Amino acid sequence: MDAASRPAVVIDNGTGYTKMGFAGNVEPCFITPTVVAVNESFLNQSRSSNKANWLAQYNAGVMADLDFFIGEEALTRSRSSSTYNLSYPIQQGQVENWDTMERFWQQCIFNYLRCDPEDHYFLLTESPLTAPESREYTGEIMFETFNVPGLYIAVQPVLALAAGYTTTKCEMTGVVVDVGDGGTRVVPVADGYVIGSSIKSIPISGKDVTQFILQLMKERGENVPPEDSFEVARKVKEMYGYTCSDIVKEFNKYDKEPNKYIKQWTGIKPKTGAPYSCDIGYERFLGPEIFFSPEMYNTNFTIPLPSVIDKCIQSAPIDTRRALYKNIVLSGGSTMFKDFHRRLQRDLKKIVDARIAASVARYGGEIKSQPIEVNVASHPIQRFAVWFGGSVLASTPEFYGACHTKAEYEEHGASICRTNPVFKGMY
Amino acid sequence: MILLQSTSRFLLQILQNRLLSSEKSVDIDCHSVEFDDVRYHVQFSVKSPLVMVLSVSLPTPPPGTVFANGLPLGAIEAIKSAYGEVVQILDPPKDGYNLTMRLNLAKLPQDEEQRQTTLVKIASVREVVLGAPLRMILQHLASRTVSPNVGQVVALVHRAKESFFLIPQVEKATVIFPMRFKDSIDMVLATSFLQEFVEARRATALINAPLCTWSPNPPQELKEVPSEALAANAGFVTFVIYPRHADGRKLDKTAWSLSTFHAYVNYHVKCSEGFMHTRMRRRVESLIQALDRAKPELETKNATQGINFKRLSLVDGSGNSNF
Repeated sequence: MDAASRPAVVIDNGTGYTKMGFAGNVEPCFITPTVVAVNESFLNQSRSSNKANWLAQYNAGVMADLDFFIGEEALTRSRSSSTYNLSYPIQQGQVENWDTMERFWQQCIFNYLRCDPEDHYFLLTESPLTAPESREYTGEIMFETFNVPGLYIAVQPVLALAAGYTTTKCEMTGVVVDVGDGGTRVVPVADGYVIGSSIKSIPISGKDVTQFILQLMKERGENVPPEDSFEVARKVKEMYGYTCSDIVKEFNKYDKEPNKYIKQWTGIKPKTGAPYSCDIGYERFLGPEIFFSPEMYNTNFTIPLPSVIDKCIQSAPIDTRRALYKNIVLSGGSTMFKDFHRRLQRDLKKIVDARIAASVARYGGEIKSQPIEVNVASHPIQRFAVWFGGSVLASTPEFYGACHTKAEYEEHGASICRTNPVFKGMY
Repeated sequence: MILLQSTSRFLLQILQNRLLSSEKSVDIDCHSVEFDDVRYHVQFSVKSPLVMVLSVSLPTPPPGTVFANGLPLGAIEAIKSAYGEVVQILDPPKDGYNLTMRLNLAKLPQDEEQRQTTLVKIASVREVVLGAPLRMILQHLASRTVSPNVGQVVALVHRAKESFFLIPQVEKATVIFPMRFKDSIDMVLATSFLQEFVEARRATALINAPLCTWSPNPPQELKEVPSEALAANAGFVTFVIYPRHADGRKLDKTAWSLSTFHAYVNYHVKCSEGFMHTRMRRRVESLIQALDRAKPELETKNATQGINFKRLSLVDGSGNSNF
């Protein structure tokens, strides 16, 4: 049987979490933290010519290449024993440690997906600012170590755009607002190509929302055990967080009817086992609010997300701007707050309308411009939009043609992985 | 991870999620592929949230292996005895699959521990189905009853269109694997891995392990087997299984390890390649470091050259403007 007749493997390595699964599925099979626990104790042993020591080192070395864990297992191992060191192979979207990355992939393939890499085409993802050299490295590992028959390295925001295309439209132009655990990026894409010079980054991410909620709860003096507080804040964010349209009105609502809006959180202290409970109040809407009024969290960065998106589109080529305003796509777990897209659309619309009104006023009403359509799309799958887009694209027949095959790799070398064609199925 | 686990993480995760989070019942329709071309298809519907329809497709059997109704010999009985009343086999199976089962999760044992073992058992459906004929022979061996096919060569499928061979005898069973690899580098690595594997068996700690030999040519026992089934590029591995390896609790483990031996070797070949890469990368890094250490002198040289160049260009005037 030919490898093209089997579903392709789609692995989306994010800074925080890795999503992996088979093309054609709606959800990834596994979502695990991108972390490896390695035992490097054998490396630090003193190098002496002692025969016994050499043997010990040799024996440790024989097993050491298999003595590691990834994902949740890695976290529990490193907590319970001190022999394992945690290593996060991806930092800010870039692979920093190729050794642990290779091991991570090895476990993803053999232990989690349990597939034979020789049997499947692979679709991997990378952030839009990755250097071509790093794609070469990825290709080298995939073809040399795992002998994959074909490889395609897709750009994450392009996949996020593709995730929306199944329903009615087949748009490959748009702005992707990716709010992940590690960072926030606004990436304009035109016809499947990323406009690299217009990418904007924001130093506020999902982690900061959690941090802010934690800070608010601490300031109010809620009774949360300190060792568990970050986890509690994360859960509060995920379960009760939402975006409001107006903070002042929201505060009033809470003060009038506290019973309706203030939630209770109950948990068990991990050390003593005693139950505790605390209130969850304003932080429900104040957490996500830091995207829209960042000055209340971080004094160094004060530009709200809608204006960053507007700036990003304004810096893109002029003929793409209308299309970009029309299709703004959210991706990443931290865009899942209720009404996040509505708030974003409203604020952005305000900025755009104000600019048009100003330009109309400047020309004294002689020239009327067409109104600009602003549209922020939201769909339920946006939490792993990148993976889902990969799954959609990798299940089209054109995908296999766009892949770099092993034969090509052997003929031309790793440099073929530098570019990955935008293929037909993307439109 | 040194040995491949017999449970499929994917199936186990789906089952556990379904039983733990009972508040939302959503349609699930997903598929997954494992090594050696075993495919799963899982379906849950909203109407009956605790009924899972699981279809399994097995590697295409090569000619010579015994398959009854698309399943290995004894598989149906093995499923029935392993899962009891939880499972109902649907006949005919779904198009493109060898086996379709309807699992009623409401009938799982109430006891937390038993329930977990049953779930693990369901997730290792591959072991139950594909390992059935092998387990049957090993059971005969363990109980020292004469199995019906003593002395004959039995071919058992383990990869798509590939089989391994088993010769049951009264006191022992000989298992022979022809090892094939697609890639030439893999082949070389696997050959030396297997030789090392046989060598490791000789260590005193493993005195009770099954006897193991490797040979580049087909062993004597396989002379009746057609030659096309014996085309192997990484030699032949022979294990001799004695009754003590197959009694009681050891039976399942032995059957699983044997039926996934090729995948095990393949996994370790890939691991060693990865490890070699790590070593090479470290070496390159140390060489680059050595180069970096030599740099300061180079830089000062460059700096002086730069000055010379500037002076030259000043003297030459516009002659060197194309630099």
